[in-house]
Amino acid sequence: MDIVVCIKRVPLTQEVDLVIDAGKKDIRKDDLAYILNDWDNYAIEEAVQLKETFDGSVTVVTVGDEEDEEILRRALAMGADRAVRVDPGSQPLDGFVLSGILAAVVKTIPHDLVLTGVQADDDNAGVVGVMLAERLGLSHAAVVTRIEKENGTARLHLELEGGMDAVCQIRFPALLTIQTGINEPRYVSIMGIRKAGKKELKVIELGELGLSDADLLPQTQVEELYLPPEAEGAEIIEGDPGAIAETLLRIIREKGVNV
Amino acid sequence: MPTILHPAASHYLGIPGVVFGWIIVVLAVGLFGYTIYKRLVLLKGAQADPRFSNIGERLKGLLTFGIIQKRQPRYLWAGILHIVIFWGFVVLGLRSLELVMQALGIPFLDPLMKGPFGAFYGSLKDLFELLVLAACIFSILRRAISRPARYAGSHQFEAYLVLGLISFLMVTDMLYEGSLLRIESGAHGWLPAAQTAAVFLPEANPSALKAILQSSFWLHILALFCFLNLLPLSKHFHIITALPNVFFRKLKKGAIKPLRWDVEDIDELESSGAGKIEDFTWKHVLDFYTCTECGRCSDNCPAYAVGRPLSPKMITIKLRDYAYSRYPVFGPGNRSASEAGKDEDESGTIIGTIIEPDEIWSCTTCGACEEECPVFIEYIDKMIDMRRYMVETGLAPKTFNQILMQFEKTGNPFGKPAAKRAEWTQELADIPVKILKDGDEVDVLYFVDSYGSYDPRVQEIARAIATGLHRAGVSFGVLGRREKDSGHQVRRMGEEGLFQMLLEENVETFQGVTFRTMITTDPHAFNTILKDYPVSFPVMHYSAYVESLVRTGRLQPVKPVEPRVYTYHDPCYLGRHNGLYDPPRNLLRSLPGMRLVEMERSRDRSFCCGGGDIILWHEIEQEEVRMAAKRIEMARSAGADCLVTACPFCLIHFEDAIKTAGLENEMKVIDLMELTLSTL
Amino acid sequence: MSDIYVVAEHRQGELRDITFEMLTKARALCQAGGHSLTAVLLADEAGALLPPLAERADKILFFQDARFKVFDPDLYRDVLAHAIGEGKPLLILMGHTPSGLEYAPALSIRTGLPIATDCVDIQLEGSKPKLTRQIYSGKLFARVVCRDAESYLITVRPSAFQPEESAPVQAEVVQLPLPGGVSEPRRTFIEYEDTSAGAVDIAQAPFLVSIGRGVGEEENIAVIQELAERLGATLSCSRPVVDKNWLPRYHQVGTSGKSVKPKVYLALGISGAFQHVAGIAGAGTVIAVNKDKKAPIFRAADYGVVDDLFKIAEALKEKING
Repeated sequence: MDIVVCIKRVPLTQEVDLVIDAGKKDIRKDDLAYILNDWDNYAIEEAVQLKETFDGSVTVVTVGDEEDEEILRRALAMGADRAVRVDPGSQPLDGFVLSGILAAVVKTIPHDLVLTGVQADDDNAGVVGVMLAERLGLSHAAVVTRIEKENGTARLHLELEGGMDAVCQIRFPALLTIQTGINEPRYVSIMGIRKAGKKELKVIELGELGLSDADLLPQTQVEELYLPPEAEGAEIIEGDPGAIAETLLRIIREKGVNV
Repeated sequence: MPTILHPAASHYLGIPGVVFGWIIVVLAVGLFGYTIYKRLVLLKGAQADPRFSNIGERLKGLLTFGIIQKRQPRYLWAGILHIVIFWGFVVLGLRSLELVMQALGIPFLDPLMKGPFGAFYGSLKDLFELLVLAACIFSILRRAISRPARYAGSHQFEAYLVLGLISFLMVTDMLYEGSLLRIESGAHGWLPAAQTAAVFLPEANPSALKAILQSSFWLHILALFCFLNLLPLSKHFHIITALPNVFFRKLKKGAIKPLRWDVEDIDELESSGAGKIEDFTWKHVLDFYTCTECGRCSDNCPAYAVGRPLSPKMITIKLRDYAYSRYPVFGPGNRSASEAGKDEDESGTIIGTIIEPDEIWSCTTCGACEEECPVFIEYIDKMIDMRRYMVETGLAPKTFNQILMQFEKTGNPFGKPAAKRAEWTQELADIPVKILKDGDEVDVLYFVDSYGSYDPRVQEIARAIATGLHRAGVSFGVLGRREKDSGHQVRRMGEEGLFQMLLEENVETFQGVTFRTMITTDPHAFNTILKDYPVSFPVMHYSAYVESLVRTGRLQPVKPVEPRVYTYHDPCYLGRHNGLYDPPRNLLRSLPGMRLVEMERSRDRSFCCGGGDIILWHEIEQEEVRMAAKRIEMARSAGADCLVTACPFCLIHFEDAIKTAGLENEMKVIDLMELTLSTL
Repeated sequence: MSDIYVVAEHRQGELRDITFEMLTKARALCQAGGHSLTAVLLADEAGALLPPLAERADKILFFQDARFKVFDPDLYRDVLAHAIGEGKPLLILMGHTPSGLEYAPALSIRTGLPIATDCVDIQLEGSKPKLTRQIYSGKLFARVVCRDAESYLITVRPSAFQPEESAPVQAEVVQLPLPGGVSEPRRTFIEYEDTSAGAVDIAQAPFLVSIGRGVGEEENIAVIQELAERLGATLSCSRPVVDKNWLPRYHQVGTSGKSVKPKVYLALGISGAFQHVAGIAGAGTVIAVNKDKKAPIFRAADYGVVDDLFKIAEALKEKING
């Protein structure tokens, strides 16, 4: 089966104090490290595992500049067969525009299955996947946590709230947005990534896709970014671990739990 | 007295003895040659390894460790016994040659042996025969009765067989000479062995004596060649391979071998690391051949001591047995581990089949095994090679993924932003620590590394070092956010590509700054920059540099230290891997009020604290007790109540162990710099 | 005066909380701007779904058809596209939920209307909405505007708004059949599966000791398990621990796990991502231990300790004996 995976490179923000830039519409990015979007990592792994089981090919696509090729090479090292990068130049991107660009590219690649992550770690919007499905006219499902392929169809587990899953069946071709935890993404070493440099990585300029002005007009725009208000939050308990432990036990007992 | 024909000159079934002699020799040597040839097949199929540099140093090592056997007496009685047997072999070699030449009817040694040298040699060889026989008997008894623990898992049968054979060789020669004595009465020199044997021989029974003479001669010859052919099939191959193995030993302790010695561009490699036996270098294969199964390595291995599944000796024995089964002398090889009786794929992988991953992850790379081995078998490079294979094939613990990603993206294992790498300097209000930019010039570049930069406890050490340098008026600076982790752990975890990346970035940063010396917080960074980085500037661990500052008076310890009994723990990467045992001790002794005791296991026998290595990111399930806990016990046994370390990882492990054992009131740990600073 | 549509979210015959949260916010917006509140219900029967909506909305568009028995994103897209085309509402509020994620973006492409997702606040300046949402997993807030359009699609974060009781109204119910031109389903629903069923029901536990990514590795969980046992508490965890297969799903607290309401919730090494915090909204007292003083959990907790969770765990174990 031929699979296309759409991936994104996002800033690593786990331990970082984000700083809003002067224009107040974006963050200062000069100090940031960038990584593959976590959900996309799971999506690539799922695609590669499907390919390893059922034969076929995996193509990864991203919209970004030359530095974003790093995640394409990582995907190739994980087992993808070829990669495509669309260079957007200075085009402003939101979910709507991204889905339009991706649709134009994916239309040219034979596919039985398109995978994206549920959302991206930067904007947390969660729209690109389903928008892309709509544009491509594919049946779709979101927040997928298990894929069991049968002939021409797949049995899916979709994650609902409260630990509930919805089990359903979908026909190919389809687009699925992949949730974290669906598999265990493999590690690729630096050397593995360098070796993957031999695989095909095609670059397309945005202009080549023939998108209209309407397609390239973002639907939403950030007016202003601001830091969360310094909420009252927790009463901090200080001291050495022994003293803290005593205080905690006292609090726990006060709240009606016998320890 | 009737003169007696030499057994080789006698006729047996009408055939002259020399004919048998020639038959035996030709067959035996031919078989031996064939066996050696088969053993060489794997050696030639293994990877390249340049071991012909520094011939002078190698010859010196050969003399010291090979001939003088300097490492043997580290286990005193076993060492003495072995030295006796070894020297016995050396001395008796001539005797064996003489007898063989006699069996072949080639008398070229006769002139030498009939002269005064021959008389002297006769006495010498007799003395050694008795010594060797006694040593063999002692060895057999020791092995059978006191059963040293380190022999567990070794091929015991082989040991007894060879000790028995050697004894047999001694006895047959004694009987041969003894019967000669009985037959040819006349003047003879001091021949204690022959005379001892003669006591047991009938006095006046010429036919019996002749029978004994002939049989003991031929038995000796047969036994000699049996022994020769037994060597390459057993652990006694070391008799042949040990001296070469010592000659070819690794000269650069602490360095890790490159992926392949003969491949410059690592991107060219199809696979990396050691997944199959042929992936090891020829020297490593020679190591397998040379192992005597003495168990000294495992006896000193801290991982083994705490119950981890690693036994260095068993790694070598298992790989050797597997190599022999895959490249046998006779018959087709078991080409795969699966045929050798393990259930795995047929690709010949040794990981997960012969060697379990946790055996390999248990190693802390402390080097105790390599320090002990009398025949200089190397372990660390092999462990790292196997780790490289596991990392490339996804067999590494999953916890590594996050850590390695963080090393790659942020230059430190914590994933903390590089921008904050120099934040530790901000708490030194009155000491300006210079953050170096390109073009700056300082005397000392202080390479802090990741733990010093981000771990709160180790930051205190970094601050102590910076304070010390400042007080001494040293012009120094740190690289701040441009510094990347030295990569010491990354390389030893097996992620070679990532290590090279960190190395390149660091080297480029170094080149932008002018400095005379580099000092490091921890011995790991010191070791890797000195040994693994292609740099030529002087690198020192802070202990040596601070010691020089005190020696030259730039720092003056005046205040006395706390009145405690101190003991110094030799960190693996300062001590064993770099031989720096004295500078920290000199520094300690220069502190007023210092009372220093030595632990039993100190200097090159120091016991690893647990490691600034994988233990930080992967726990070994089978571990029964922490290495640090054992070490704290050793400190207490030495009568100390304060343990001084020069390595931040040791410090962290010891502090944890003390807390876990609840010994805060009885034992304290302090870093060498912190202690020194307290005296200024 | 325009309409504000709220798409009712329901499952297995019951309206979900998000519906009431959206209705409350929509009501406030309607009152401030003089708009009319319309609930849109796609269901196979009125049952328990219609009456609560009827008390809170001015009008209900009730699309009734057997095909709505189970949720299908294509159906919702088509029906809502039709409804929006007919009614031309100013705003269409939908839940940012697994269901909402499946049809709302498709609806945007189908209708050509702009969409802003996962909004935690909505303001109307005349007929222009200003949305507030979070980015970088809650580290920053963003005020977002859409390009000018006739209608605006908005998905609302669950628990962003508190449902409030207000004077009940009596809605005008407009019953509608399935519109024409609706596509055939491309997906077949099979069943619901409760993955959180397991040996222990954390939702009933009065005292939870919960671990997050800070636990480091699988082997360390045993240490915390022991602590939980000593404290007489039940062990639970955040999503990353389950993602890595270190604990079974039924231990998971959060939107994709269970909502819990213990008397005391001790969070060890949990960063406090909103999906997790949403699951402990009902907890009595939350105590958080985390090495990072900036961890979002401290905003949600009552008491906080900035330290190594293992040190605190050890200390707790010691002090329980004494």
